[in-house]
Amino acid sequence: MNSPRTVERLTRILSMLPWVMSRGGATVAEVCERFGYTRPELVRDLNLVFVCGLPGYGPGDLMVAYVDEDEVVVDMAEYFARPVRLNPAEALMLLAGGMALGQAGEAPEALSTAVAKLQRALLPGGEEISVELPAEPELVALLRRAARAGSVVRLTYSSLAGGKTSLRDVEPWSVFSTLGNWYLRGHCRTAGAERVFRVDRIRDAAETGETFDPPEDPPPPVVRYTPGVDDVRAVIELGPGAGWVAEYYPVDVIAAGEGTTTVEFSASDPSVAARLLLRLGDRARLLGGDEVATATADLRSRILARYGTA
Amino acid sequence: MYRVIERILNLLAFLLTVERPVTAEEIRYTVAGYDQANDDAFKRTFERDKDLLRQLGIPLRLAPTDAWEVESGYVVSADEYALPDPGLTDEERAALALAAQVVRLGGQSPGTGAIFKLGGAPATAGGEPLMADLGSATAWLPDLFLAVTERRTVRLGYRGAERGLEPYGLAFRRGHWYVVGRSRGSVRSFRVDRIESLRIGERGGAFDRPKGFRSADHLPVAPWEAGEEPQRVRVVFDHEVAWWARRQIPPGTPIEDRAGGGIEVELEVANLDAFVGWLIGFEDRAEIVEPTAVRERFVAHLGGAV
Repeated sequence: MNSPRTVERLTRILSMLPWVMSRGGATVAEVCERFGYTRPELVRDLNLVFVCGLPGYGPGDLMVAYVDEDEVVVDMAEYFARPVRLNPAEALMLLAGGMALGQAGEAPEALSTAVAKLQRALLPGGEEISVELPAEPELVALLRRAARAGSVVRLTYSSLAGGKTSLRDVEPWSVFSTLGNWYLRGHCRTAGAERVFRVDRIRDAAETGETFDPPEDPPPPVVRYTPGVDDVRAVIELGPGAGWVAEYYPVDVIAAGEGTTTVEFSASDPSVAARLLLRLGDRARLLGGDEVATATADLRSRILARYGTA
Repeated sequence: MYRVIERILNLLAFLLTVERPVTAEEIRYTVAGYDQANDDAFKRTFERDKDLLRQLGIPLRLAPTDAWEVESGYVVSADEYALPDPGLTDEERAALALAAQVVRLGGQSPGTGAIFKLGGAPATAGGEPLMADLGSATAWLPDLFLAVTERRTVRLGYRGAERGLEPYGLAFRRGHWYVVGRSRGSVRSFRVDRIESLRIGERGGAFDRPKGFRSADHLPVAPWEAGEEPQRVRVVFDHEVAWWARRQIPPGTPIEDRAGGGIEVELEVANLDAFVGWLIGFEDRAEIVEPTAVRERFVAHLGGAV
């Protein structure tokens, strides 16, 4: 197997060489800034290039690449005068990333022309790649502003677990879109811990006037639910047509059989598992978890009562 | 690692300048770095190097070395190797670098390689928070992208059956990627994360995309809208959940206010299954008013007496 580092290093060399050649030379500082090199890293890569070239491998066959004072010199490397094409994954990521940021309302001006140029270069036949982020709820702008300013917000929030409404003071860190929804991530002062809130579940938000110091470099957000110690657990057998659950929810697969998968499901509130089980109907069976069994039976009878049956 | 990088640079320099197909044998005895002791060691090394070229995005083709097509050799054509120059300005590169930083796909940022290939970006401030995550179950996307851009047919395993597809486009909506195209005589969309297997055809230009085709026209607007014959279903939402229902129903849906702060809406439903699942999320604060058949179906799904 080739390590990703080898691929990265070759990509950087095969990108840096054409850039330097296209400008007939460049300063060490320019190359380092643009391609994320330190000076010793750059010198090491240039030394490597210097011993490569065409068969014969004599002085006239090898590439010329070295640092002269503060100048990067590259010569005899015409075959590397153009950068390598993007692989399909890179091309899609750049296009999709550019299209997504372009919908965030705060994109840099040059982005739309950049995406248009990429489309012309990468999709010469006018092939269609489209990216639609879910519409930004109205509160996104306010929350984003508060996050940037380090300003505490008070939320009126209806949680997904149980549908209870609560007031919470939150130090907002970032607002982002994933899984078809917008989320706010931050430190919840009410809970005394980091929390992720679904923006469409925030009925109201207002700045309290207090400020906070945002964390230096918060770890990337995890939207998928992470099991906690106080969670309720249930063992569920997923039949045909319910296999997607194992990919959408944080479950531990206990056994995989002929057309069925048995998983352990965790949630902070039994109502989450109850709704899922009712939704799956006869495509799933609850094998274990008393609290969840009770919650499911209760939810079923409440809904059926509304329909006048029991 | 030095050895690998030197060998690849030598191999590429050779292939890009030789302008004819060269056999593995010729490569072995011409290019510096392939002085492995035996045949097996050479084969292993060469296979690994071919894989590395593929990861870099460099197309390595096989072509006959002579008119009699007895022997095949490897070709990297300079035009296929090189990135068609998009003509980006530094501001545009910086904007794309920012996008690469704040948008995640497949659980990771694109990395810097793609930006380097475009000519690098002047250093950005960095530390911008994540703004959008375009899905994590995306293993099929690069192959589908290739199939769409090169107009190759694919065979995909979907819900336990294999079917052929002429992929016209890729689209991201409501947190999911879809591949849209012609399959079994009609234009359909398939959720990429539900594809069970994928094989892409060898031949490019295998079909024509209809003029003015737009993937967005063929995607479900709400989860329950993907399916067969749509029907109208009237639903009441109580005041506690009315605000949340309003946020989720498609724009243009007729909404009537009811006494007590609730609402009654008429929804277009094509996928009853998805609709039932969605409605259960409202617990006992929502109720299907009509048609009776859908009411009964909902009650039956919950295991109640009809």
